Amino acid sequence: MSYSLNEIEALAKRAARGGGLSWGISEEAAKAVRWLTSHGLPGGEALAGLLGQNDGVASDQVAPGDLDDVWHASNGALCPLISGAALNDYAERLAAGTDITMRDVSYPLLVVPFAAWAAMHIKAQVGVSWGGMRVVTDGNGLGISDADDALLVTKTPQLSCAQVTTATGAFSQPLSRGEVSPGAWATLNDFAQRTYAPATEASRRLGAGAGVSDND
Amino acid sequence: MGAALNPASDIPQRDPATVMRLARLGSFHQSRLSFMRILTRRMKREAWTFSRPVFEIDAKGVGHAIYCTHTPDRTYSLVAFAHDLPAEKRSDRVIAEAWDSTFTMFDGVPTDADIERLRANIPLQEAGRVTESELSVSRANRSVRLWDYMVSCLADGQQPDPAEVAKVGYLMRTTAVYGSGKLGAADREVIAGRPECAAPFQIEMLSVFLTRTYVRDLMQHMANLKGGDRTATLSPETARSMGIGNSTGLGMAPFIVNHPMLFNNWIAAREEAIARVRSLATATVADTRLFTDLLARSVQSAALWRSEHPIQIEKLDELRQDLATLTAHVNSADLQSDHPWDRLYQWAAGHLGVDAQECLASLMLEPYGNIVDDLADTMAHTQTDTFRIDGTMSVGKLKTVLDDAYDWALDVDWNAKEHCARAWYVSAEKLEPRLGERFEEPIAPYEQPLAPGRDAAALRTALADWAPDDAIAGFLLACPEHRHTVRRAQIVARAPYAEIRDNTIGSDLLPIDMLRCKLSFFGAMHFDPRSDRWVRICMFGNAPYPEELQSRDADLWPYPNGAVETS
Repeated sequence: MSYSLNEIEALAKRAARGGGLSWGISEEAAKAVRWLTSHGLPGGEALAGLLGQNDGVASDQVAPGDLDDVWHASNGALCPLISGAALNDYAERLAAGTDITMRDVSYPLLVVPFAAWAAMHIKAQVGVSWGGMRVVTDGNGLGISDADDALLVTKTPQLSCAQVTTATGAFSQPLSRGEVSPGAWATLNDFAQRTYAPATEASRRLGAGAGVSDND
Repeated sequence: MGAALNPASDIPQRDPATVMRLARLGSFHQSRLSFMRILTRRMKREAWTFSRPVFEIDAKGVGHAIYCTHTPDRTYSLVAFAHDLPAEKRSDRVIAEAWDSTFTMFDGVPTDADIERLRANIPLQEAGRVTESELSVSRANRSVRLWDYMVSCLADGQQPDPAEVAKVGYLMRTTAVYGSGKLGAADREVIAGRPECAAPFQIEMLSVFLTRTYVRDLMQHMANLKGGDRTATLSPETARSMGIGNSTGLGMAPFIVNHPMLFNNWIAAREEAIARVRSLATATVADTRLFTDLLARSVQSAALWRSEHPIQIEKLDELRQDLATLTAHVNSADLQSDHPWDRLYQWAAGHLGVDAQECLASLMLEPYGNIVDDLADTMAHTQTDTFRIDGTMSVGKLKTVLDDAYDWALDVDWNAKEHCARAWYVSAEKLEPRLGERFEEPIAPYEQPLAPGRDAAALRTALADWAPDDAIAGFLLACPEHRHTVRRAQIVARAPYAEIRDNTIGSDLLPIDMLRCKLSFFGAMHFDPRSDRWVRICMFGNAPYPEELQSRDADLWPYPNGAVETS
């Protein structure tokens, strides 16, 4: 179904929060899903899959422990959102020519928007590679190598990210709408529901502050 | 006008620590930079034209109408559906499921197929679905008393009593105007590049402007059907005195916290305008004459302003007294030499309450459209790079930012009940933002991040063990729960008016302060709180109708012109 990008972002933020991520990471998860869907990529499906997989898993288990060598989680696969946020926070490393390598990453597609924001920040193209394919972005646009079978994998043993020194052309530009499958939308809605307080008679009466007749 | 402009403002913008307190934000008034006035000025300047190609509404008041607006480059069409609403279904709450009229702003001219698609969706509002061709979705309910009174008067061949009309001020009030992608409509980004959409909320304001015309026409139409040949036509003066009401609940309050850059840009534009005018070395006779004329009309406007809410009654009493004091001062003060506006502002800061101070601050801008109106184009949020966290910022630098922008919050005991008595949450029912009592309801696990002061204080504490030279990226890896607040702090470091510098969860919070602040930027007048978290206002009251835009003043209409009875 076609959604506005704001609808997608709003639901993704609530879903990520409902899935136990911090508000700050949830905000970036939402923008990441928006960015991917605006490029016709299944960002909503990836987030729905990730939240289902990591449901009940503490964030610090799937966050990179230290960033000195190959990034890896203390227990299990890296969360692409937490790792992506760190990647963007450390964008200057890419600018300095340092490659960033991650081991065992869930839903690697979700790292791509963070690489895009890093690219925008360092004003250079950034490439993200995993599973034999490569995605290059300058921030707004996106180029995907032919071998895109790995695009939707739920996990990759290795992901690397580096500044692209030989500029690549033919980028796809973002669209003004996004598609999310009914199943993924329903999953995201289920996670978002966890952020809503059940309505009580008291909250209905008091919480919104009404209580006067509107037939006047 | 503006002969004495000093291009380098020597009076700085007001301190955010003064401006961003809730008591002051909740006393803001409309100004030249209000979104409604930005729109009506443009309509006149660009000679927009209007047409009503369809008005098919039956004797029960059921049908649809289309109102087209033709700008130099494109057409926008308000599609209005009229319904026969039973009284028991009339509610201003977001949980309502039916309304007197429902609307959408269509980008272009709708085809018959579009109308049929919209007829199946717009009357359902949140339960319907629209497309990228639609720019907004809204609904309105009648003021039953005034509607029935005016239809009866006109059907009897009589003009309604202007004093009775003034008691309500509108025939219908909107209970929501959704834009920016809601319900599947076009995102803001789709229209942001159009000059007429550069200022915020212009499509929503256009929707309300056209809704006012539709409501006038519909009321007359119903009177005609009832009274036949003897029906009177509503006098243009009475019609013009009426605006569109708006009933706004809590849903709007979190908006100004959730959009810190946008909020900053609104406040910063008005503050820059105030600083530019205060920096003028002299004022001409014509400038001061316009100012004193509009001050007198503001006194009249305050006299017309009605509310039954105890807090608002008290504020209104003070405002009326202060405006009388200001008038007396202005009558004897030198308003022409030696930085007259700065002196007047300084005098007001020492002698008047904040409501009158803010009324004056807005009034001072009026003679200087050529100096301040260009700021309208700075009010949208176009700085796309502000969301990204700068991971290289040092812990020491972040501490300085927190100590500066959140100093009011750092010494507050956030564990004391009175300082955290409330919590913002979203209800499962219709996803409505609500404000609850943290210690009386089981809502804390659902709390939304709408207490920046408390969160900044917690961040400041968490940073205590980190060395000043550490990069914030390392801190965030260890403490991801502070990521949201670090982003806010980095935003406020470059956008000083981004943050409300007051407690948004304390026991003494008045959400109506947040509502009034936002609505004043729309250009709303005569705020009438129905509780501490629910306010009714009037929009476009005294504004010209589409056919009057070229023949009447399309800018200073918020100020009553002596034609309206005050009794």
